[in-house]
Amino acid sequence: MEYFIQQLVNALSVGSEYALLALGLAIVFSIIGLVNFAHGELITVAGYAMFFAATTWLPNPWMALPIGIGGAALAAIVFEKVAFRAIRNASTNTGILTAFGVSIVVQNIFVIFVATRPKPVQTPAFLSSMIEIGSLTVPTLQVLETVVTAIAIATLLIILKKTTIGMAMRAASKDFMAVRLMGIKANWVIQSAFIISGLLAGIAAVFIISRRGAVDPFMGSVPVLKAFVACVLGGLGSLQGAVIGGVALGVFEVLLQVTLPQEITAYRDAIVFGVVGLVLVAFPQGLLGRKVELGDKEA
Amino acid sequence: MNHLLRTAANSALPILVLTIAGTLIYFFAEAYQVRIAYTFFMNLVVAIGLQVFMGNSGVVSFGHVSFMGISAYVVAILTIPLALKKSQIPDAPFGLGLVQFDIVSAILIALAVTVAFAWVSGLLIKRVSGAAGEILTLAVLVICYVVFNAWIDLTRGPRSLYGIPIASSLPWAMLASAVVIFIAKYFRDSEDGLQLRASSENMLAARSMGVRVERLRLKAWVLSGFLVGIGGVLHATYLGTIGPNSYYFTQTFLIMAMVILGGMRSVSGVIVGTALISIGSEIARTLENGPVVLGLKLPTMFGLTGFFLGAVIVLCMTLRRDGILGDDEFEDIVRNRRATKAAEAATQTA
Repeated sequence: MEYFIQQLVNALSVGSEYALLALGLAIVFSIIGLVNFAHGELITVAGYAMFFAATTWLPNPWMALPIGIGGAALAAIVFEKVAFRAIRNASTNTGILTAFGVSIVVQNIFVIFVATRPKPVQTPAFLSSMIEIGSLTVPTLQVLETVVTAIAIATLLIILKKTTIGMAMRAASKDFMAVRLMGIKANWVIQSAFIISGLLAGIAAVFIISRRGAVDPFMGSVPVLKAFVACVLGGLGSLQGAVIGGVALGVFEVLLQVTLPQEITAYRDAIVFGVVGLVLVAFPQGLLGRKVELGDKEA
Repeated sequence: MNHLLRTAANSALPILVLTIAGTLIYFFAEAYQVRIAYTFFMNLVVAIGLQVFMGNSGVVSFGHVSFMGISAYVVAILTIPLALKKSQIPDAPFGLGLVQFDIVSAILIALAVTVAFAWVSGLLIKRVSGAAGEILTLAVLVICYVVFNAWIDLTRGPRSLYGIPIASSLPWAMLASAVVIFIAKYFRDSEDGLQLRASSENMLAARSMGVRVERLRLKAWVLSGFLVGIGGVLHATYLGTIGPNSYYFTQTFLIMAMVILGGMRSVSGVIVGTALISIGSEIARTLENGPVVLGLKLPTMFGLTGFFLGAVIVLCMTLRRDGILGDDEFEDIVRNRRATKAAEAATQTA
């Protein structure tokens, strides 16, 4: 029973991490149709921001948290301004390849100017402590990750439902032209989407980095692959889909990790991607996506 | 027959130029330059193989490097001498540890396995369109990489397999690239290729004209898997040692940059792109190690090659989305130039 609860908490925390990242991808995709491969690099940027802040002028590990989140949001704005603005009205292919390119450039900038080797980053000590409830011990980090994700999603919901920009963003995912005709600036909507995706990635980054304790130039690529899978699983561009897909993927992964015999766990990622592939073939638009046939206008 | 001859005529120019350049390098250049040339021809085979699917169907694929990996691994496992095999993969499944094939049948089996894998994966991929389909191709890449790493009994996992008999050399790579150029151009201008290209321009219009898009996509996917598989054979039989990291993101980036820069919709474009990227990354690699230029010692900058590839992709997408050649093949360029000259001559005489 204790083992079960521990693994459940673990599954939820992994799922929350994927949900945070997938949500960021989905917001950007729903508005400008960009499959943002460079999303993982937001995590890397957050990590290096924390590393530099800690080694140069702000050794207090508490300050690392806002700096990481802010760094990711800032990086998202820069990516949008520098690269994605130029290809705004282009096809999905152009978008996916540009984002791919941005991701390689950012990774290699860190390789050139910092190092390929991982650099240690300190986060507040309580994040690596354990919570004890009766005979049950669970890591604080995992509980906190789930709770913070829930809060972040709730805040996002409020923003989307109650504020003008939120409504504009929801409307833009249906019909961008109509939003612009209502007198709302396109740049504003798109930038807000990127800022939100950056903030969400920053929150995820803080947890990822606390868990790893170090940053390296390629740390963003695996989480972002998983976030993609989560997004596609839930239906690209659907925000609920991203959250559900993320949590489902996390639970599925932990389930595989726990139930599979030792020698097969090495294949875990292959199994995850394989199952997702099969789901996609059965439901090409994801579990919550709209049914679109090959050739229909997308999104 | 007519189409065969026309393709032969149209692909003669690039094949001739490449063959002359390759022959000169083979006979007169230094050993390391021959190695670079070999890598160029091998990457050309892979890039054109990818173009056959990406350029005609308009669907970006991140999964093709896996085909290269599969055929390379099959060749390796079938040809490594038994004694070496015993020390590297003693527990190989299906009794593969006890057999050794000659190189020709090993290559044929490798290509057959690659085609079979491409066909099975293609059955799934043809059904999903748009961004989801592209992510599915990414899933192919990840799955193959994980399997190469995890199936230690068969692939020796992350440690490399070595001892593959070295059977290939620059002339073989040149021959392979000539064949691949011909096949790619033949497919591009065939009825199937034309219909598939039409569907990438406007899917609805093509469908309403009776183009069977899914079937053609599968065809292109399998054909391009086969061609990329040839690239894998070239890789394994030249290096003699292979590992899973050669068939993952780094190689994918490289091939992708080659295909995009020249223009993914034309075979000639891919040839140009491959040449430019090969030269560029060779220069970047030299700079990376901190050479001495004009008596000035430059700092070492690891990661420059990757940075260069990424920058090429981003700049190409923002500045010249269709690549350098766009839709044009070499013969189109020649014909257009003749047409303009004729038009000029006509206006002058008039």
